[in-house]
Amino acid sequence: MLEPIVRFFAPKPLSVLPYYVAGAVLFSILVVILLINLPSRARKPLIAIVTFLAGLFYAAEFFWPIDKATNKNFLTDYLVPASKLGSLLGGMTLTLGILSLLRVHGRNIVRLRSGWYNSLALLTAMVAMVIFGLIDNYGTNATAKKVFNVLFEGMLINMDATMFSLIAFYIVSASYRAFRIRSIEATILMITAFLVMLGQVPIGNALTDWLPKDGWIASLRVENIKQWILSQVNAAALRAIAFGLGVGGLAISLRIWLSLERGAYFEKEI
Amino acid sequence: MQHAFEKIWPVLIVEVLTAVIIIWRIISAQRGKELFIRRIPGLNAIDEAIGRATEMGRPVLMVPGIGGFSIIALQALSIFSYIARSTAKFGNRILMPVADPTVYTVAEEVIRDAYQAEGHPERFDPDSIRFLSDRQFAFASGVAGLIQREKIASSFMFGEFFAESLIFAETGNMVGAIQVAGTVQTTQIPFFIAACDYTIIGDEYYAASAYISRNPTMLGSLVGQDFGKLLITILFVVGTGAATVAALNVPTLGEAGKWFVDLFTIH
Repeated sequence: MLEPIVRFFAPKPLSVLPYYVAGAVLFSILVVILLINLPSRARKPLIAIVTFLAGLFYAAEFFWPIDKATNKNFLTDYLVPASKLGSLLGGMTLTLGILSLLRVHGRNIVRLRSGWYNSLALLTAMVAMVIFGLIDNYGTNATAKKVFNVLFEGMLINMDATMFSLIAFYIVSASYRAFRIRSIEATILMITAFLVMLGQVPIGNALTDWLPKDGWIASLRVENIKQWILSQVNAAALRAIAFGLGVGGLAISLRIWLSLERGAYFEKEI
Repeated sequence: MQHAFEKIWPVLIVEVLTAVIIIWRIISAQRGKELFIRRIPGLNAIDEAIGRATEMGRPVLMVPGIGGFSIIALQALSIFSYIARSTAKFGNRILMPVADPTVYTVAEEVIRDAYQAEGHPERFDPDSIRFLSDRQFAFASGVAGLIQREKIASSFMFGEFFAESLIFAETGNMVGAIQVAGTVQTTQIPFFIAACDYTIIGDEYYAASAYISRNPTMLGSLVGQDFGKLLITILFVVGTGAATVAALNVPTLGEAGKWFVDLFTIH
């Protein structure tokens, strides 16, 4: 029944893509005009109905019994088109994000504020990545593809890795502060962390290697103590937190789904 | 794709029951029933941190994490709206770097509204909410740079954080900022506990907006949440008992125990 919708959202060949893009832009403009001209008292009910139907779709898709052969129910095929609508909204807001970058850093450059050259480097890098990225995807120019490769593989990935590596140093300084013995809790934390770290390294295991591997005394081997801490104490605490988060997530989802949410933007006149 | 597993009814019943309890508590709270919620030190520290920034004349930083637009981000924005109302009152400068463009557009609206609600729309600076990058470590370096350059006095980190959490928290610590953090990512909670002054753990994150606003609907939902947790705890206790009698093959009870355990077992 909804097969045309699935076909409509399927990838399109380049020859017809511009028509689809133009159609989508026109449709979006019409929707925006319609929403702007909608009477104020009708806007909130409309949002409530759309939110409820969208939530109902995902809940029904999850709970409706599935055909074991295909691992699908009658709604599963429409999950991709539904998630694409979300991606489309994200795509549109990305323009606003880029405008924010241009506004903040463009002003820094025009007014020659301190560090204006950093803003210039940022905007130049952004424009270069866009241009060479497009050429890499759609063009054939070999030099441009090489430049993109240098920018992406040679620079961006390495800078990402550099930032990631910094975490190792931050872990040392943060754990130094956390493990300082100032209270009973900090002492327990320090001892526990010490035992887990010992259990992770061969030298730690070697310390209690002389203990038998079987019988109750084997529980005192460092690797077994570590395993007990991780699988019993730590896992229990993490599961308790996860259950609390799950129920909390259910509560806030219900409030939003049934339009019961209050505060911040939910009570705003629209 | 993910679906409810074959044994759909037990899960559906527990979930619907929890949902009904939450809605029941919301309705009773809306009818004026007085509800008690315990003190959450991390949320009480928000005012202290804003006060410190006011005294020092330095900016307040709010980071909504790197996650997309979801209930987690909505909750973070709800907390930031409260912070923005306080900063609007005291005239603090705020900085809010954002990694997701959808969150950015909503955040700008929320903060603008907060300033308007406090009667100081002229104090709102659109440049205070900035989209930096949607790449994890590009965003992390941008925020770390902002913290160092602006020498922030207070830092609030609420939302979805991953490996970059420690970069933010440690950089904030380096400039001597008072830091309050909360995330639903259990892997990042230890980092925040180690590096921040106050950390909101687990479902306290979802309690934040109710705690701050004291709105009856939200408070009702919060109490309903606790009833939901109580229901799950009862299931745990009954399940543990059932598994024990099933393992011990207790006459009659053993069969019932096996049936109960099987009801909730995912094969």
